[in-house]
Amino acid sequence: MDRRDFLKTAGGTLLAGTSCAYAFRFLTSTYANKAGTDIPASGKRWGMLVDLTQCREDCTACMEACRRENNVSFHNDTRWDNHWIRKIKLSSEHDAGGEEKSVIMLCNHCDRPPCAQVCPVQATYKRDDGIVIVDHHRCIGCRYCMIACPYNARQFNFRDDEHWPNKERPKRSHGVAESCTLCAHRLDKGELPACVEACAKTGAGALSVGDLNDPHSTISRVTSTMAVKRIREDLGTEPKVYYIGL
Amino acid sequence: MNITFDRIEGTSLQYRMLLLVFAALAAAGGIATYVVCQKGIYITGMTNRVPWGLQIVMAVYYIGLSAGSLVISGLYGVFGKIEYKPFARMAVYVAMLFLIAGLMSILTDQGRLDRVFVEPFVHFNLQSMFSINPLLYNGHILICIIYLWALFTEKKTLTKVIATLAFGWAFCVHTGTGAIFGFGARMLYESPLLPASFVAAAMASGTALMILMIVGLFKITNRHVDDELIIWLGRFLAICTLVVMYFLAVENAYRAYVVELRGAALYYLFGGFHSILFWFGLMIVGLGVPLFILFRDRTGKQIRWIVVASILVVFGVLCERYVIVLPGLTHPPELFPGMEITASPLVEGTASYSVSFAEVLQALGVFGVIGFLFVWGLKVFKLLPNEARISGPPGPAV
Repeated sequence: MDRRDFLKTAGGTLLAGTSCAYAFRFLTSTYANKAGTDIPASGKRWGMLVDLTQCREDCTACMEACRRENNVSFHNDTRWDNHWIRKIKLSSEHDAGGEEKSVIMLCNHCDRPPCAQVCPVQATYKRDDGIVIVDHHRCIGCRYCMIACPYNARQFNFRDDEHWPNKERPKRSHGVAESCTLCAHRLDKGELPACVEACAKTGAGALSVGDLNDPHSTISRVTSTMAVKRIREDLGTEPKVYYIGL
Repeated sequence: MNITFDRIEGTSLQYRMLLLVFAALAAAGGIATYVVCQKGIYITGMTNRVPWGLQIVMAVYYIGLSAGSLVISGLYGVFGKIEYKPFARMAVYVAMLFLIAGLMSILTDQGRLDRVFVEPFVHFNLQSMFSINPLLYNGHILICIIYLWALFTEKKTLTKVIATLAFGWAFCVHTGTGAIFGFGARMLYESPLLPASFVAAAMASGTALMILMIVGLFKITNRHVDDELIIWLGRFLAICTLVVMYFLAVENAYRAYVVELRGAALYYLFGGFHSILFWFGLMIVGLGVPLFILFRDRTGKQIRWIVVASILVVFGVLCERYVIVLPGLTHPPELFPGMEITASPLVEGTASYSVSFAEVLQALGVFGVIGFLFVWGLKVFKLLPNEARISGPPGPAV
């Protein structure tokens, strides 16, 4: 190969490589925002605060309210039952006789949601107000979001559920993956999510929602002044469910 | 080298029976898929904790077989080993069919089959490996069609160009398939080594399958093939098998070494049915025994032993696909490091998965479709050469 050929090949390769890199960047930039990889500092940004010190051990009012409100699939079989909000019990691995702790788990509405990134049809997306939601008319049921979610929050409608308590909300049809919507339909109307409302009715008040971008909201004040935790913060998903007493 | 290609007659009773068997399998798979679509995926073995099952295992297995088969044709097209020209048409045709099989397996696994043909095209997401891969698969099928056309019409320059493209594309296809898992957030998935390991396993299984097809078809149709050609493929298979073993060893050593992954590594290696598949199905039967056969002078040069080794590698790589997909899901994600979940309305700990009858039928159905297309293709297209001989030393082909 003489010098001229070498320069031609090297120049061509550089040009082609640069073009490909820019083309990829251009094509993916459109989706980057939709997949929610940015964290807006202004505008509404919903988050949830869970005060575990107020959560009553045997109370499942939030779970029942969620299922009633959203017609969440339930077949009394742990393999296929969906729990958009669930209550688990934790104990230390190193302390066999130690105290158990109840923890409320739900979709963390991550600011960098892996479920939205992997969705091949953009059925999962982050709304401008930070709520991660699924368009169940678009979801093809590939279940890649369930693989990507590190919190086991995404669940699949394995079969139709004849039970339809809330006729104002859609019946859950089989073949799509869904999760907690933070009751976006209620928040949009100025109402509280069903779980928050139910918890307040019991008098516990362990659950609350608020705007993380509003410095005067309760959630902002608590997260900036108290020791709060988020589940697996180390993963970099920027979850927006904060816990007191975890 | 003057090679003539021919169709098979396809008038015998055995041929028709074979077509009928494949058609019956395809029909059974079609019915199973219809029932799953109507009733819901709960009739399969999948659950909320194990949302992928046999169909995904088969999809990545088929994709692997396709990439490997194309490597064989690359020997002729890219590396100029003209003595492999007789197998090029068959290899590309088989590669195309296995890509179709892979796509079919993925399609029939979707919860909403009715949306699969619209939504992915309308709302394409370039950040999703599940969007990128069908693009790679469909592109590969298109390349195979052009490649076949170039081979059938004996267009030498186009063959050379498209063979090079196909060879490179095949690497992308398999790297991309491995990335579905390797770039995943599960403890037993996340590994940059996995895409490369997928390529190696694909080349091993694809080469093994080609050996079986060449030896089998040439014997059934009374065609001559020089032993040396198969022996060389056997050596190539041995190297691929060794590379697969090396990747597996490094990956597992890494997991066992890193403290936070050690529990997952132990679960993978000694945690249940998948561990039996890993050690006996993959490491011993699927890789160890074939390596012994192929590297041993006496057996490595005997066609029947090379065939035995190939059968074992094809089986071993199927086990490899299973132990990549399933343990990564059944192993629980670590939600609270240092804590244990003692009660939950969901399955939070180690989950289980068992293959259902519906999934087996679906997998057999996909196999039936491509089996039918292959056998039918032998009658319709001039895929088989009259013979395959080594004529002089290998040199530039086209």
